[in-house]
Amino acid sequence: MNRFAAIAATTAIAIVASAHIGSPNVVFDGNAGAYPVRVIVRPPEVVPGLAEVIVRVEATDAQQVLIRPVFWRTGARGAPAGDEMRRVAGEDRVYTGQLWLMAYGAYSVYVTVSGARGSGTAIVPVNSLATGRLPLAPALGGILVVLGGLLVAGLLTIVRAAAGESLVPPGEAFDAAKRRRANLVTAVAGPVLALAMFGGAKWWKAEDTSYQRRMYGSPAAVPTMTVDATHRTLRLAVHDTAKFQAIYAPVAPDHGKMMHLFLVRLPDMDAFAHLHPVQSDSLIFNGEVPALPPGRYRLFGDLALENGLSLTVTNTLDLPDAKGAVAPSDSDDAWTVSPSVARLAPQAATSLGDGFTITWHGDSTLLAGRVTDLRFIVRDAKGVVAQLRPYLGMAAHAVVLRDDESVFIHLHPMGTVAMVSQQAFALRDRGDTTAGGRLRPEALAADAMPAMSMSGELTFPYEFPKPGRYRIWVQVKPDRRVLTGTFDVDVR
Amino acid sequence: MATLVSSIPDYQSRTITRTAVTTRLWHAYTLVFAAVCVMVGVYWDISWHMSIGRDTFWTPAHLLIQAGGLIAGISSGYVALKTTFAGTTAEREASVHFWGFRAPLGAWLSIWGCGAMLTSAPFDNWWHNAYGLDVRIISPPHAVLAIGIFAIVIGAVLLTLAQQNRADERTQRGLAWVLALTGGMLIMNFALFLTEYGEGRMMHSAFFYQVTAAAFPLALAAMGRAIKLRWAATSAAACFTVMMLVLMWFISLFPATPKLGPIYQHITHMVTLSFPLLVIVPAFFFDLVFHRFDGKLGTLALASILGVTFVVTFVAAQWPFATFLVESPLARGRLFNAHNYVYWMNPRYEALTRRFDPPSPGEWPFTIQLLIAMGIATLTSAIGLARGRWMTRVRR
Repeated sequence: MNRFAAIAATTAIAIVASAHIGSPNVVFDGNAGAYPVRVIVRPPEVVPGLAEVIVRVEATDAQQVLIRPVFWRTGARGAPAGDEMRRVAGEDRVYTGQLWLMAYGAYSVYVTVSGARGSGTAIVPVNSLATGRLPLAPALGGILVVLGGLLVAGLLTIVRAAAGESLVPPGEAFDAAKRRRANLVTAVAGPVLALAMFGGAKWWKAEDTSYQRRMYGSPAAVPTMTVDATHRTLRLAVHDTAKFQAIYAPVAPDHGKMMHLFLVRLPDMDAFAHLHPVQSDSLIFNGEVPALPPGRYRLFGDLALENGLSLTVTNTLDLPDAKGAVAPSDSDDAWTVSPSVARLAPQAATSLGDGFTITWHGDSTLLAGRVTDLRFIVRDAKGVVAQLRPYLGMAAHAVVLRDDESVFIHLHPMGTVAMVSQQAFALRDRGDTTAGGRLRPEALAADAMPAMSMSGELTFPYEFPKPGRYRIWVQVKPDRRVLTGTFDVDVR
Repeated sequence: MATLVSSIPDYQSRTITRTAVTTRLWHAYTLVFAAVCVMVGVYWDISWHMSIGRDTFWTPAHLLIQAGGLIAGISSGYVALKTTFAGTTAEREASVHFWGFRAPLGAWLSIWGCGAMLTSAPFDNWWHNAYGLDVRIISPPHAVLAIGIFAIVIGAVLLTLAQQNRADERTQRGLAWVLALTGGMLIMNFALFLTEYGEGRMMHSAFFYQVTAAAFPLALAAMGRAIKLRWAATSAAACFTVMMLVLMWFISLFPATPKLGPIYQHITHMVTLSFPLLVIVPAFFFDLVFHRFDGKLGTLALASILGVTFVVTFVAAQWPFATFLVESPLARGRLFNAHNYVYWMNPRYEALTRRFDPPSPGEWPFTIQLLIAMGIATLTSAIGLARGRWMTRVRR
């Protein structure tokens, strides 16, 4: 595992605003046919660019691992033949490879594992968005200036020779009159060349501006509150802000909900809610805010689109006091107020309420840039590992937020990917979409949920993008209510 | 067709010495060979990106371009060192000074071109990292590379020209054909760089004729004047057309599948550039104009005639041919290559290629725009004529 983690840490982590704020890398735990796999995808900051892919196959009998970049519009039919991944020296289960993501939008990395137990494919959705821009390093800039200077000086010398000495027949003298003429031409060529270089610089600047316009900008989420005796209603209007249109396809239900909205009270993060506002128009969502204390909140709205793209919108919200009891608008809404925050310490049990406890069983030292298993065990009052009920189709949900709000992610035991994004690709390949890529709703509804463990022993694979203090909320449904455990961790 | 021009006084004004001609003939041929390598490599590379997509530093097309650049740079560097430190009197007398060294002008230009090509490499690499791998031809680092390639081709032209301008009549005839080849490469250089403005669907818009007017008359006027063939511009354009056609037909014979996605066109063989532009038609009329008016009119008057000639004859030829390429199913075969869809061409774009671009909103009337194209062609013809006049005088 250490070797695997070391490989996982070899690339610098891009800290960029992207889907799942500040945490663009994808971690997926699942199956490729009979083979359990963990897939890490580090998307490039530029498009087209190279994505790093690391696959760990939890079996020793895998013979070949192929990866393919699949773009949502063309599906697997429009993907190039798979690239065979390279097995890492000294490791019999870890493979590495690179894939070109050529277009903007939703991609999936198809990981196909073949071996004695047959062949199977895992679909790992990844957003292909331009999120960064490489500045010109001073050293390279210096080299280019020197080379450019030499080229300019050389060209002027050539112009002078072309206008003068080259016209003198062999054996004849390069007299003063011809020399003067050559100098004159060179003197004229200088400003012309300078003008051409100025034009080149303007062109470069224009290209840079045009690139920045194509960069991903987080869509805006504009909240409006209305309060009366029985309602405290949040209306959230979402729209693209950047020239690059991220919300290109309609919103699709993920775990049956059109939006997963998280509210965290600032600055102490002492109140937390996971709500599901109802879509009243294509990009307008309405929902009741139940018993949260008033104050300033940071909101994060997770959206999945029919083309497989998953986005997070964010804003701050001033929550007024409720004038009466407010009923949640969705039965799966869950919240917690003034929780007892546990430091992540091995074997430290924290009360979840209703007699249940949650205990952290992960690594005692967390390092940024390495895939970590965030392991928790939920026990009942007797200390027995609880059997969980599905909450939104999953055994558990976790939300990770850095204390400066620069990193936010919504995790499941399967990792960072949105399940509906996987479905979007599978349905596209199966032909259950329109030519333009629209999902047929009945196909989505008919798509069976994969079988998953409902044990109270939970693992969330995640790669912290940078050091710092993070808060983690873990949500489970061991009985009738959704219970939330809250933890603080320091990542080095 | 290849009748030698002997009526232009400039061509016969100097006494020729055989030794001066033959001392560095190998170098002229080497530079021409290097330029051919680069141009074939560039064509192949564009085709590679249209068909396979994924590349490395070591693709055969890249190696051919780099080999061409290095052959030009190293052979010219050798000539410079030898002329400077161990040159014969004849060699030194047929050279120019450059920062304390001596070599013919063409050698310096090709060394400079090699330097520009080398400079473009780290620039291009950074560009890909900063803005993504480009799938375009026109970008600032590619412009630096293209200027380097231009310089190598022009270096080959100048070196051969200097030989031609000093040579006796018999040697001139052979060299003139080598020059026609280099002229063809010069036209090809313009054509490749303007590929993105030269799609069939654009050929009924005035902008296409303005862009082509900004490039081709320059090469045609210069080569028409400088090469000592009766049909000089036509010969250069013929070389361009033959090179483009041979590459188009030959490279497309090879099987290829895309290694990048999304793939909208499931191609099975190398996709090559479209049928070459019919530059040969205005080239032929340029030669006719030269035969009738060169030496009788001033540069500006001659350039005006050439400018109008270029636009009128090029529109007359390319316009109906574009109709055939865009609309006729007969064009979509190996011969005319109008179905050369790159793998990333989506169905919506593919549909656009089957009709001509409509005029942009608020665009000036077509006739006004063609007049502008004629103005541009006049200007580039004038520059070309001046260049051609200078080229006939290059002796070193």
